[in-house]
Amino acid sequence: MKRYDMIIVGAGPAGLSAAIESAKRGMHVIVYDENAKPGGQLFKQIHKFFGSKEHKAKIRGFRIGDELLAEASALGVEVVLNAIVIGLFSEKEVTVKIDEHVEHVKGDTVLIATGASENMVTFPGWTLPGVIGAGAAQTMMNLHGTLPGKRVLMLGSGNVGLVVSFQLMQAGCEVVALADAAPRIGGYGVHASKVSRCGVPFYLSHTIVSADGDDHVTGVTIAEVDKNWQIIKGTEKHFDVDTICLAVGLSPMSKLCDMAGCQMEDNPSKADFVPTVNKYGETSISGIYAAGDVSGIEEASSAMIEGRIAGIAAAAKLGFITEEECNIEIEKQESALEGLRQGMFAPGMRGKIITETDEGVEVSQNLLKKGFVTEEEIERFPGVTHSEGIHPVIECTQNIPCNPCQDACSKHCIKIGSNITALPAVNPEAKCTGCGMCVASCSGQAIFLVNEDCGDGTAEITLPYEFLALPQKGDKGIALNRNGQKICEAEVVNVRTAKAFDHTNLLTMKVPKEFALNARFFKKEA
Amino acid sequence: MRIQEHPILGTYDRGEIVSFTFDGKVLEGFEGEPIAMALKNAGVMVHRYTKKEHKPRGIFCAIGRCTDCVMIVNGKPNVRTCITPLEAGMEICTQYGVSAEPSNGGEKK
Ligand SMILES: Cc1cc2nc3c(=O)[nH]c(=O)nc-3n(C[C@H](O)[C@H](O)[C@H](O)COP(=O)(O)OP(=O)(O)OC[C@H]3O[C@@H](n4cnc5c(N)ncnc54)[C@H](O)[C@@H]3O)c2cc1C
Ligand code: SF4
Ligand code: SF4
Ligand code: FES
Repeated sequence: MKRYDMIIVGAGPAGLSAAIESAKRGMHVIVYDENAKPGGQLFKQIHKFFGSKEHKAKIRGFRIGDELLAEASALGVEVVLNAIVIGLFSEKEVTVKIDEHVEHVKGDTVLIATGASENMVTFPGWTLPGVIGAGAAQTMMNLHGTLPGKRVLMLGSGNVGLVVSFQLMQAGCEVVALADAAPRIGGYGVHASKVSRCGVPFYLSHTIVSADGDDHVTGVTIAEVDKNWQIIKGTEKHFDVDTICLAVGLSPMSKLCDMAGCQMEDNPSKADFVPTVNKYGETSISGIYAAGDVSGIEEASSAMIEGRIAGIAAAAKLGFITEEECNIEIEKQESALEGLRQGMFAPGMRGKIITETDEGVEVSQNLLKKGFVTEEEIERFPGVTHSEGIHPVIECTQNIPCNPCQDACSKHCIKIGSNITALPAVNPEAKCTGCGMCVASCSGQAIFLVNEDCGDGTAEITLPYEFLALPQKGDKGIALNRNGQKICEAEVVNVRTAKAFDHTNLLTMKVPKEFALNARFFKKEA
Repeated sequence: MRIQEHPILGTYDRGEIVSFTFDGKVLEGFEGEPIAMALKNAGVMVHRYTKKEHKPRGIFCAIGRCTDCVMIVNGKPNVRTCITPLEAGMEICTQYGVSAEPSNGGEKK
């Protein structure tokens, strides 16, 4: 039987990060993944990620996967694809199915980094062709260049539902509505806002009554639910759609841990049934580790750190480094993890109703219910200021673990500070040059450059634009507000594209100056 | 429907155009793409009908986990078309129930 110092199940951010750390310390490592491509969830993610520079923030997900893979390969890590691990036993024996044959291998340590799988909901018609998971929509669009449908209803307002709704529009689908049975939007406000300003209506406290169609989906009916999740008669709304996309949560894929006999726990703050792990990510069985979404649904940024910790700990366990070295390095990783686990979306905050930010600013209720911050609400946030000439307006209103905007501005116009979940604030002393780096770097597409008064009765607004066809200078159209409603005529006065912007184009439009504080998106039409 | 150009991903690497049959009809797709993508782009939504209730099923997870998309490929039933690459000349048939038995609609060969 082949033997390895470490066998890693799953080539997502957690598994690859662990492979890098352990191989760096001289370990002989193999990684198995059931997919044809490495990167786990990352290879389907085309948006710029949250986090900080150290955790590859503002890099698009699929490129993070590529970077991790290149680093692992350079260190001699063997990554076997199309390889599904079907058995794990307490003696750290692993059974893996590669194509049609089965292999048995033994590890001195094993890391389970299998990530999560999508949850499902049932309703009349849910098995009809045309009802798909959000992950399936991403796979079709981003890997295979195929549109899942023309008109889509999204169920689920968590980050997955919000991000995939935006991706559907980028690929060319129309998202007719986003519904969620919960009374409040579950994902980041900035993700919701970029969907909302494109005109997608949000229906919170709504669920699917039925999917219609004989052989495939031709429509969907949603209705409002009461406090007990019961449908309120008379509130039904019908949409003609060919696709219903489900994004109703993820569950850790912890089957292998259970199979090996690891102690498991039902942990509501971690979203499900997960293996109990100590601070090194080690399960109740010595030498078997778990890291990433499998030990609690979080983010790629935290999955990478957990993976690194497990890799370092395994190296110490097998004597590749001293315990002392191990503890010093793990302490560093832990403080980074601690930093990420602050703010409104921290694991411990699940289910809590938040009324103020850490800074004591009242949160926008409209954002939580409708997906956009109102004109009155936006003024109270530290990223929104008024001054003469061009200046950034940062519509980022929740404590999320993210700070690329601060690093982007060489003029120090934007300040978050050392606490990565703090709200970005505009520094009134610094002078904005209008370079646009902050707009392009913002993972949440929440930064605009505004010149409120150009002196001729007009105002100019620069916004991030990631759709085709890209409007051209001179194009006339309509400005939309944060809610995606048409508010005035607009003319494109500049479109900037640059390598440093990484496919986020900066579109500058001219509007009558009374709309300077409201116009947030451009639509080319008569 | 194919995405011709994507604002972030640009154009896609696609294989050669090849022909295959679906329930005897000749269709085209790109070599190496999942069979399910070729079918989807040809407008095929139903991959199989369930045994007992004769309910239609199509792509659901697109990553080989749910088995909703299984079909008869070159005479072999229960092939997950979302993860099986398309090859020139493949014979793909709607599956009725769980076996390769042709049923009412699906005429085999
Ligand atoms: C739409 C969407 C948007 C997101 N946006 C962000 C973001 O902006 N920022 C951020 O930080 N995070 C984001 N995330 C979350 C992030 O992608 C995940 O938290 C992260 O990928 C988890 O990493 P992981 O390594 O634990 O698992 P995964 O990435 O899920 O990788 C696990 C891998 O293991 C494989 N596997 C599972 N079982 C087996 C087996 N038995 N045998 C072999 N292989 C197996 C899986 O196929 C998979 O490839 C997003 C997620 C989604 C879905
Ligand atoms: S446009 Fe440039 S100078 Fe102005 S705030 Fe943004 S990054 Fe700073
Ligand atoms: S404004 Fe800053 S903190 Fe907020 S989403 Fe954008 S980059 Fe992240
Ligand atoms: S669609 Fe789920 S296995 Fe193919």
